[in-house]
Amino acid sequence: MAGKIIADTIETGAGADISTSYVVNGSAKAWVHFDGTGTVATRDSFNMSSVTDRATGAYTTSATNAMASADYAWTSNASNQGAAYGAYCVEGDATGTKNFNGRTSSNVRLNTGGYTAWDDALSISSVYHGDLA
Amino acid sequence: MSTVITDKLTGKTSAGDVTITSEGGSATMQLQQGVAKGWVNFNGSGTIAARDSFNHSSLTDSGVGNYKTTHANNFSSANYTFACQGGNPSDDGTRIPTRMRDDPTTSTYGNQQFTTTAAANQDCTQVAFTFFGDLA
Repeated sequence: MAGKIIADTIETGAGADISTSYVVNGSAKAWVHFDGTGTVATRDSFNMSSVTDRATGAYTTSATNAMASADYAWTSNASNQGAAYGAYCVEGDATGTKNFNGRTSSNVRLNTGGYTAWDDALSISSVYHGDLA
Repeated sequence: MSTVITDKLTGKTSAGDVTITSEGGSATMQLQQGVAKGWVNFNGSGTIAARDSFNHSSLTDSGVGNYKTTHANNFSSANYTFACQGGNPSDDGTRIPTRMRDDPTTSTYGNQQFTTTAAANQDCTQVAFTFFGDLA
Protein backbone atom coordinates (compact mmCIF):
# COMPACT_ATOMS: atom_id res chain seq x y z
CA MET A 1 0.00 0.00 0.00
CA ALA A 2 1.28 3.43 -0.88
CA GLY A 3 2.00 5.79 2.01
CA LYS A 4 0.03 9.01 2.41
CA ILE A 5 0.83 12.19 4.34
CA ILE A 6 -1.80 14.84 4.97
CA ALA A 7 -0.10 18.05 6.05
CA ASP A 8 -0.39 21.82 5.80
CA THR A 9 3.33 22.55 6.04
CA ILE A 10 6.55 20.85 4.99
CA GLU A 11 9.61 21.78 7.05
CA THR A 12 13.24 20.93 6.55
CA GLY A 13 15.47 19.74 9.35
CA ALA A 14 17.12 23.16 9.27
CA GLY A 15 13.83 24.78 10.19
CA ALA A 16 12.97 26.31 6.83
CA ASP A 17 9.35 25.63 6.10
CA ILE A 18 6.95 26.07 3.24
CA SER A 19 3.20 25.75 3.22
CA THR A 20 2.02 22.84 1.17
CA SER A 21 -0.22 25.36 -0.63
CA TYR A 22 2.95 26.69 -2.28
CA VAL A 23 3.88 23.21 -3.38
CA VAL A 24 0.43 22.46 -4.76
CA ASN A 25 -0.29 25.92 -6.20
CA GLY A 26 3.25 26.56 -7.36
CA SER A 27 3.66 23.37 -9.32
CA ALA A 28 3.03 23.48 -13.03
CA LYS A 29 -0.11 21.49 -13.76
CA ALA A 30 0.73 20.81 -17.39
CA TRP A 31 3.54 21.48 -19.82
CA VAL A 32 4.59 20.46 -23.31
CA HIS A 33 7.57 21.01 -25.58
CA PHE A 34 6.88 20.33 -29.25
CA ASP A 35 8.15 20.78 -32.79
CA GLY A 36 5.57 22.88 -34.65
CA THR A 37 6.97 22.39 -38.13
CA GLY A 38 5.67 19.78 -40.57
CA THR A 39 3.79 17.10 -38.69
CA VAL A 40 3.60 18.45 -35.15
CA ALA A 41 5.58 16.23 -32.78
CA THR A 42 5.65 16.38 -28.99
CA ARG A 43 9.16 16.07 -27.58
CA ASP A 44 8.16 15.81 -23.93
CA SER A 45 5.08 16.66 -21.89
CA PHE A 46 3.25 16.34 -18.61
CA ASN A 47 -0.55 16.18 -18.28
CA MET A 48 -0.99 17.04 -21.97
CA SER A 49 -3.16 14.85 -24.16
CA SER A 50 -2.51 16.42 -27.55
CA VAL A 51 -1.19 19.27 -29.65
CA THR A 52 -3.33 20.13 -32.66
CA ASP A 53 -1.93 21.85 -35.72
CA ARG A 54 -4.71 24.25 -36.80
CA ALA A 55 -2.88 26.22 -39.47
CA THR A 56 0.49 27.80 -40.16
CA GLY A 57 1.74 29.05 -36.81
CA ALA A 58 -1.50 28.06 -35.09
CA TYR A 59 -1.78 25.28 -32.51
CA THR A 60 -4.00 24.08 -29.70
CA THR A 61 -2.55 22.42 -26.61
CA SER A 62 -4.96 20.22 -24.64
CA ALA A 63 -4.52 19.15 -21.03
CA THR A 64 -5.40 15.59 -19.99
CA ASN A 65 -6.77 16.58 -16.58
CA ALA A 66 -8.64 19.86 -16.92
CA MET A 67 -8.04 22.97 -14.88
CA ALA A 68 -10.76 24.20 -12.51
CA SER A 69 -11.54 27.18 -14.74
CA ALA A 70 -10.20 29.00 -17.78
CA ASP A 71 -8.47 31.58 -15.61
CA TYR A 72 -5.16 29.77 -15.11
CA ALA A 73 -1.81 31.35 -15.93
CA TRP A 74 -0.25 30.36 -19.21
CA THR A 75 3.32 30.96 -20.34
CA SER A 76 4.92 30.04 -23.60
CA ASN A 77 7.95 30.35 -25.77
CA ALA A 78 8.68 29.82 -29.44
CA SER A 79 12.04 29.60 -31.15
CA ASN A 80 13.19 29.03 -34.68
CA GLN A 81 16.66 27.65 -34.63
CA GLY A 82 18.70 28.79 -37.57
CA ALA A 83 16.04 31.12 -38.91
CA ALA A 84 16.98 34.61 -39.97
CA TYR A 85 14.58 36.05 -37.46
CA GLY A 86 13.22 35.33 -34.01
CA ALA A 87 9.80 33.95 -33.21
CA TYR A 88 7.16 34.94 -30.74
CA CYS A 89 4.23 33.10 -29.24
CA VAL A 90 0.92 34.66 -28.27
CA GLU A 91 -2.49 33.45 -27.28
CA GLY A 92 -4.71 33.49 -30.33
CA ASP A 93 -8.04 32.38 -31.65
CA ALA A 94 -9.13 29.92 -34.28
CA THR A 95 -8.52 32.29 -37.13
CA GLY A 96 -4.92 32.95 -36.18
CA THR A 97 -5.29 36.51 -35.03
CA LYS A 98 -3.67 37.74 -31.86
CA ASN A 99 -6.93 38.36 -30.06
CA PHE A 100 -7.59 36.39 -26.91
CA ASN A 101 -10.52 34.13 -27.57
CA GLY A 102 -11.72 30.75 -26.52
CA ARG A 103 -9.36 29.51 -23.84
CA THR A 104 -11.02 26.61 -22.03
CA SER A 105 -10.20 24.71 -18.87
CA SER A 106 -8.19 22.30 -21.02
CA ASN A 107 -7.22 24.06 -24.21
CA VAL A 108 -5.05 27.02 -25.16
CA ARG A 109 -4.96 28.26 -28.72
CA LEU A 110 -1.56 29.71 -29.43
CA ASN A 111 -0.03 31.39 -32.43
CA THR A 112 3.63 31.69 -33.39
CA GLY A 113 5.20 33.98 -35.90
CA GLY A 114 8.23 35.78 -37.19
CA TYR A 115 8.52 39.50 -37.37
CA THR A 116 6.30 39.83 -40.43
CA ALA A 117 3.80 36.96 -40.45
CA TRP A 118 2.50 33.91 -38.67
CA ASP A 119 4.93 31.07 -39.07
CA ASP A 120 5.57 27.58 -37.72
CA ALA A 121 8.27 27.31 -35.06
CA LEU A 122 10.75 24.53 -34.32
CA SER A 123 10.63 24.68 -30.54
CA ILE A 124 7.43 25.67 -28.75
CA SER A 125 6.74 25.34 -25.06
CA SER A 126 3.45 25.83 -23.24
CA VAL A 127 3.08 25.75 -19.44
CA TYR A 128 -0.10 25.91 -17.32
CA HIS A 129 -0.15 27.12 -13.70
CA GLY A 130 -3.33 27.23 -11.63
CA ASP A 131 -5.87 24.98 -9.97
CA LEU A 132 -6.74 21.58 -11.34
CA ALA A 133 -10.40 20.63 -11.28
CA MET B 1 -2.78 22.44 11.29
CA SER B 2 -0.12 19.81 10.75
CA THR B 3 3.53 20.07 9.76
CA VAL B 4 5.82 17.52 8.20
CA ILE B 5 9.47 18.13 9.11
CA THR B 6 11.78 16.52 6.65
CA ASP B 7 14.74 17.18 4.39
CA LYS B 8 13.60 14.84 1.68
CA LEU B 9 10.44 13.51 0.08
CA THR B 10 10.74 10.08 -1.52
CA GLY B 11 7.95 8.00 -2.99
CA LYS B 12 7.22 4.80 -1.10
CA THR B 13 6.09 2.66 -4.02
CA SER B 14 8.44 4.32 -6.49
CA ALA B 15 11.20 6.58 -5.18
CA GLY B 16 10.74 9.19 -7.92
CA ASP B 17 6.95 9.40 -7.68
CA VAL B 18 5.23 11.44 -4.96
CA THR B 19 1.56 12.12 -5.71
CA ILE B 20 -0.29 15.27 -4.67
CA THR B 21 -4.03 15.87 -4.76
CA SER B 22 -5.40 18.71 -6.86
CA GLU B 23 -6.92 21.85 -5.36
CA GLY B 24 -10.34 20.68 -6.53
CA GLY B 25 -9.77 17.26 -5.04
CA SER B 26 -10.77 15.30 -8.12
CA ALA B 27 -7.36 14.73 -9.70
CA THR B 28 -3.90 13.71 -8.62
CA MET B 29 -0.58 14.55 -10.18
CA GLN B 30 3.03 13.61 -9.76
CA LEU B 31 4.78 16.20 -7.64
CA GLN B 32 8.14 15.82 -9.35
CA GLN B 33 6.72 16.43 -12.83
CA GLY B 34 5.09 19.72 -11.95
CA VAL B 35 7.97 21.30 -10.09
CA ALA B 36 10.21 23.67 -12.02
CA LYS B 37 13.64 22.06 -12.25
CA GLY B 38 15.50 25.26 -12.88
CA TRP B 39 15.02 28.99 -13.32
CA VAL B 40 17.10 32.12 -13.54
CA ASN B 41 16.35 35.82 -13.65
CA PHE B 42 19.22 37.87 -15.01
CA ASN B 43 20.30 41.21 -16.39
CA GLY B 44 21.38 40.60 -19.97
CA SER B 45 22.70 44.09 -20.56
CA GLY B 46 26.35 45.02 -20.04
CA THR B 47 28.07 42.45 -17.84
CA ILE B 48 25.34 39.86 -17.55
CA ALA B 49 24.52 38.85 -14.01
CA ALA B 50 21.99 36.53 -12.41
CA ARG B 51 19.67 38.26 -9.96
CA ASP B 52 18.24 35.04 -8.58
CA SER B 53 18.24 31.43 -9.68
CA PHE B 54 17.59 27.80 -8.87
CA ASN B 55 19.59 24.82 -10.15
CA HIS B 56 21.66 27.19 -12.22
CA SER B 57 25.45 27.28 -12.40
CA SER B 58 26.48 29.92 -14.92
CA LEU B 59 25.51 32.33 -17.68
CA THR B 60 27.39 32.90 -20.92
CA ASP B 61 27.16 36.14 -22.86
CA SER B 62 27.42 34.90 -26.45
CA GLY B 63 27.00 38.30 -28.08
CA VAL B 64 24.42 41.03 -28.33
CA GLY B 65 21.07 39.65 -27.13
CA ASN B 66 22.48 36.13 -27.12
CA TYR B 67 22.67 34.09 -23.91
CA LYS B 68 23.40 30.56 -22.75
CA THR B 69 22.64 29.16 -19.31
CA THR B 70 24.22 26.09 -17.72
CA HIS B 71 22.27 23.90 -15.31
CA ALA B 72 23.80 22.80 -12.01
CA ASN B 73 22.11 19.38 -12.16
CA ASN B 74 21.58 17.99 -15.65
CA PHE B 75 18.33 16.87 -17.24
CA SER B 76 17.85 13.26 -18.26
CA SER B 77 17.37 14.23 -21.90
CA ALA B 78 17.43 17.35 -24.05
CA ASN B 79 13.65 17.27 -24.56
CA TYR B 80 12.72 19.30 -21.48
CA THR B 81 10.29 22.20 -21.68
CA PHE B 82 11.47 25.75 -21.36
CA ALA B 83 9.90 29.15 -21.20
CA CYS B 84 11.88 32.31 -21.67
CA GLN B 85 11.05 35.95 -21.70
CA GLY B 86 13.12 39.02 -22.33
CA GLY B 87 12.41 42.67 -22.39
CA ASN B 88 13.52 46.19 -21.78
CA PRO B 89 10.97 48.01 -19.66
CA SER B 90 12.19 51.31 -21.08
CA ASP B 91 11.06 50.16 -24.53
CA ASP B 92 7.43 50.40 -23.47
CA GLY B 93 6.64 46.75 -24.09
CA THR B 94 8.11 46.38 -27.54
CA ARG B 95 7.63 42.83 -28.88
CA ILE B 96 10.77 40.72 -28.40
CA PRO B 97 10.84 37.67 -30.68
CA THR B 98 13.38 34.99 -29.79
CA ARG B 99 15.33 32.43 -31.73
CA MET B 100 17.30 29.43 -30.58
CA ARG B 101 20.67 29.19 -32.23
CA ASP B 102 21.71 25.85 -30.72
CA ASP B 103 19.73 22.82 -29.62
CA PRO B 104 19.34 22.48 -25.85
CA THR B 105 21.53 19.87 -24.21
CA THR B 106 21.05 18.09 -20.92
CA SER B 107 23.37 20.60 -19.28
CA THR B 108 22.87 23.85 -21.21
CA TYR B 109 20.14 25.93 -22.79
CA GLY B 110 20.95 28.42 -25.55
CA ASN B 111 22.28 30.20 -27.33
CA GLN B 112 18.94 31.95 -27.10
CA GLN B 113 18.76 35.19 -29.01
CA PHE B 114 16.41 38.06 -28.35
CA THR B 115 15.68 40.15 -31.40
CA THR B 116 13.88 43.23 -32.50
CA THR B 117 11.00 42.96 -34.93
CA ALA B 118 13.50 43.99 -37.59
CA ALA B 119 15.50 40.82 -36.83
CA ALA B 120 18.46 42.51 -35.16
CA ASN B 121 19.70 41.14 -31.84
CA GLN B 122 19.27 43.30 -28.77
CA ASP B 123 20.34 43.02 -25.14
CA CYS B 124 17.56 42.84 -22.57
CA THR B 125 17.76 44.08 -19.01
CA GLN B 126 15.07 41.65 -17.85
CA VAL B 127 15.51 38.03 -18.91
CA ALA B 128 13.98 34.93 -17.33
CA PHE B 129 14.34 31.25 -18.20
CA THR B 130 12.29 28.47 -16.60
CA PHE B 131 12.71 24.74 -17.16
CA PHE B 132 10.44 21.74 -16.62
CA GLY B 133 11.22 18.11 -17.26
CA ASP B 134 13.01 15.12 -15.82
CA LEU B 135 16.32 15.54 -14.06
CA ALA B 136 18.93 12.85 -14.56
